[in-house]
Amino acid sequence: MSSHAATTQVKANWGGGGVSPLGASYGKLYMWFFLVSDAFTFSGLLTAYGFMRHKYTDFWPNPGHVFHHFPFYEGSIPLAYVGLMTFILIMSSVTMVLAVEAGHRNKKNEVAKWMLLTIIGGLMFVGSQAWEWYNFISGTAEGAVRNILVDGVWQDKLIHGANLQYNEYGLPVFGDFFFFITGFHGFHVFSGVVINFIIYVNVVKGTYEKRGHYEMVEKVGLYWHFVDLVWVFVFTFFYLL
Amino acid sequence: MEFNDGYPSYETMAIHDEEHGKHIRKVIWKVFWIMLGVTLVELLVGFKAESWGLGKVFLQFFFIGLTIVKAAYIVLSFMHLGDEVKALKWTLLGPFIVLVLYLIFMVDVGEGNYAKARRYVMDKNVTDAPHHAPAGNNEGASEHH
Repeated sequence: MSSHAATTQVKANWGGGGVSPLGASYGKLYMWFFLVSDAFTFSGLLTAYGFMRHKYTDFWPNPGHVFHHFPFYEGSIPLAYVGLMTFILIMSSVTMVLAVEAGHRNKKNEVAKWMLLTIIGGLMFVGSQAWEWYNFISGTAEGAVRNILVDGVWQDKLIHGANLQYNEYGLPVFGDFFFFITGFHGFHVFSGVVINFIIYVNVVKGTYEKRGHYEMVEKVGLYWHFVDLVWVFVFTFFYLL
Repeated sequence: MEFNDGYPSYETMAIHDEEHGKHIRKVIWKVFWIMLGVTLVELLVGFKAESWGLGKVFLQFFFIGLTIVKAAYIVLSFMHLGDEVKALKWTLLGPFIVLVLYLIFMVDVGEGNYAKARRYVMDKNVTDAPHHAPAGNNEGASEHH
């Protein structure tokens, strides 16, 4: 048997307020519809990325050559660090769903524990992304010569790393998409951490215990899993393909 | 807010007992191990793709397929969409079916045929890598060298 609404019958007439439609609470429905629209935003960004990449396929930087750093290790291990980031985010999704489960049993301390672990996982992910950006922006010691616009004049310059205007590793548009899409995702993660923290404080204060249910935890849980879901796609399209 | 309409409140919809919770937790960890396994396989294949001589089209289907597997586990299991009523599932997932159809058509008909054939003409500068030449220089560039 499911713990959710599957076993309840939806009334035939839900217009005019009162009864929430589709067998789910209004709060969850609002979150779901927001997530659908947010998913379309990310779809748009990734679609644009896909078209550009398809167009410049022969000149696209190999992500394995760009992202190969690992903390406290001088050598190069392609994709290892981003694999670790993915693990951290999946793990924090698991602790989130465990918090929701504990909420369904009204266990305040368990909810608080899993929420806290989720927040820590989110902070670790944002920190990892900052480090990834740092490496991409600072680039290699050798650098590369690129024809770039300086004071209104195109000239060949030795450059290191990437920003929105030039990219040591290849096409500038690769860097543009990287900064925009992982930045937009990273800001979602950051927002999620802030929201999770607010809900965590409420859990610890006993707000939801008094209310008799932990619906708010389930709602922020939906948002948090969505952030993980987007990362699964970003991971595939930026790092694997 | 109180609604006295006889419809079950959130509490009665969502609360479960200790034993049921144990079962749910077991499922959560099972999903975790599946997701971790899939991610490790993706990384291994991504790491070894060149030395194993795997084709580009194969890799695209392989990675996108596994991504959809992971996405399905997140949405249906972690977000509990699998437990919601059918109408909600269709309401939320339906729009993405349209999006996927659009993308398939765009890749196959639009970008796939038109831009790929034209890209050398449009972007001769790009073929002069590593130099990224100014935008004004590409007039008269009519063929790929």
